[in-house]
Amino acid sequence: MLSLEDLFVVALVWGIVIILAWFLSRYLLTVFTGAKSRLDRFFLPIENFIYFLAGVDSTEKMGWKEYFKALFYLNIAQAVLAFFILMFQQNLPLNPMHYPGMSWSLAFNTVLSFSSNTNLQHYNGETTLSYLSQMSAIQFLQFTSAATGLAAGVAVLRGFAGKAKTIGNFYFDYVRSLTRVLLPLTFVATIVLIALGVPQSLGGYSSIPTLQRDAYEILYKGPIASLVSIMQLGTNGGGYFGANSAYPLQNPTQISDFFEIGLMMFIPTSILFLFGRMVGDNREGRTLFLAAYVIYGIDLLLAFLPATQIGRGMEVRFGSTASVFWTVTTTAFTTGSVNASLSAFNPVVILTGFFGMLIQAAPGGKGVGAMYLLMYIIVTIFLVGLMAGRTPEYLGIKIEGRDVKLAVAAFLTHPIIILVPTVVAFVIGAEKTIGLTTNSIGFTKVFYEYTTAAANNGSDFLGASANTVFFNVTTGVVMWLGRFLPMLFMLAIADSVAIRKRTPSQGLKTGNLSFVIILVVSIFILTVLTFFPFLVLGPILQFLQGFKTGFGGVVLGL
Amino acid sequence: MKGVKRISTAARLTLISVVICGLIFPLVMTGIGQVALPWQSNGSQVYFENRSIGSELISQNFSAPVFFHPRNNSASGVDPDITLSYATSQIPRIHNATGISESFLNATLQKYRQYTLFFFGTPYVNVLNVNLFLVASYPTIYSPYVQ
Repeated sequence: MLSLEDLFVVALVWGIVIILAWFLSRYLLTVFTGAKSRLDRFFLPIENFIYFLAGVDSTEKMGWKEYFKALFYLNIAQAVLAFFILMFQQNLPLNPMHYPGMSWSLAFNTVLSFSSNTNLQHYNGETTLSYLSQMSAIQFLQFTSAATGLAAGVAVLRGFAGKAKTIGNFYFDYVRSLTRVLLPLTFVATIVLIALGVPQSLGGYSSIPTLQRDAYEILYKGPIASLVSIMQLGTNGGGYFGANSAYPLQNPTQISDFFEIGLMMFIPTSILFLFGRMVGDNREGRTLFLAAYVIYGIDLLLAFLPATQIGRGMEVRFGSTASVFWTVTTTAFTTGSVNASLSAFNPVVILTGFFGMLIQAAPGGKGVGAMYLLMYIIVTIFLVGLMAGRTPEYLGIKIEGRDVKLAVAAFLTHPIIILVPTVVAFVIGAEKTIGLTTNSIGFTKVFYEYTTAAANNGSDFLGASANTVFFNVTTGVVMWLGRFLPMLFMLAIADSVAIRKRTPSQGLKTGNLSFVIILVVSIFILTVLTFFPFLVLGPILQFLQGFKTGFGGVVLGL
Repeated sequence: MKGVKRISTAARLTLISVVICGLIFPLVMTGIGQVALPWQSNGSQVYFENRSIGSELISQNFSAPVFFHPRNNSASGVDPDITLSYATSQIPRIHNATGISESFLNATLQKYRQYTLFFFGTPYVNVLNVNLFLVASYPTIYSPYVQ
């Protein structure tokens, strides 16, 4: 059960982050509307120099096809560069450990993973990657994929808000995401993390004789703090270490743990408020915020239900509260970093993780989480419109057949790219090649793998054990489809509603509490119904089997 | 023609991004870390007789019966801490191996006790710090066991 201590900690972290996110949303509004700001004197010359070097016009209005092409081409170019860095790191500088290059399939998986903001890792960074790869492939893609997600999310919000009559310009959004949002925030976060004990060094990995005679340890000193700060702020989640944020050098204390939880929540939460500011009616942002946080809160309550003991797979310094809080948050925000081994948790905690990733909007990753909320709103308004027999409307815009079709296409992308490869993996027996058994536990792990890939989350059970050509290639493709297809569909809707006529709303009011409830219920019905049979075969069956063997008492905290 | 332009723009913006985010940023942060917070930046190393014996944050291999032992089946494999109850269960073994009184060992654990939620939660201790304190308190007993 949720204890008072758990409640206190969650309330404290939520309170601080939500207040700061509210202020950040005010800043983001000036950043993305291009309103005059005192910071222009510092940032504008830098940004104009970048536009000049890249040869782009940041003021040109883009249609959805143009916006998407600019975004997609850039992501391909970045993935190609990172691919070559990873494959040929042995011939490049900053490799004091002389690690060899990655195999093609692992490098393929890794670049698709990091460029899609997923950060699924089929390798252990500390024993695989050179310093240059950690910085110029991994951290680089963590920054650029975060900027891409932020840009696409803001463009969709801008279209729906309608004030600008356009979805904007990709280069403007991308460059400003980096210069005015991600780099300054990451700069501060890196310094805080170093102060809390996360290393930032290029001094090489040394073997040190420890206190007891004839005992040694390898001290992995590297550019860790700068990577951890962008991986959390950018809801990337891919760690410097294979053990991710369970590894003490990536997350040394409880304070760093709660700080990192706050970092993952910060930007996605502020984007929800940003929407209200863009529309010019804070109630509309409040609807997104409440819907997302109600679902996130339900997940947390469920996850705290079983009594979790400090046991195998959990770090003592975090205890059970911080481990459960982290695991729910990392899936709710689709970050994917972990601070404990997922095998340590009760199936109920894993189930709430599935909810977070299947919904992707509770609150979801930065930018794209809000985008998915708008997708759910369109589908919900359409359903409610059908039931009430009225023309569906949102923010005074008539929702047309094309909008609904595109929103449903975005929604259906997810089940298709999760369920089809999961089934294929079992049909061809791929689970056996990585040492899994065909039972509820094995099923949970493979189903989780494709869910985390499609949701661009990145937390996983399999880790380096899934470094096979089959899993590398299939999850790689799933990650890119899960990333770019919904973006394409949602940009298309946003572009057409941006210029559509708006009339004062006749229909359903969306800025009030009753709509929040309708939205939450409809999100649960839509996603849970879609995935229910698979959840039953995985974590639910595992839970019930636990009951049979007397595990049930522990599960219910009896 | 438009396609060629788009590819060239993508390539140029990629190079600009990698220089800023993938090189300048981590290198500048490394510089700041090394100058302003050198102890943390280099892995929070603990010193014994003026030489580094590794990071305070990383579990060490303690296998001799005279030491508190870590618990290396947790998530990272290098968890530096153990719960107070697990530490207390090791007291009789250390007492038998060293002759140090159980009340002193208990007091040592209390001295280094921390909580998983600041003031509440599960109490635990850092294994290296506790062992270092024992070594410093009883140098003659421990000298055959340290390097």
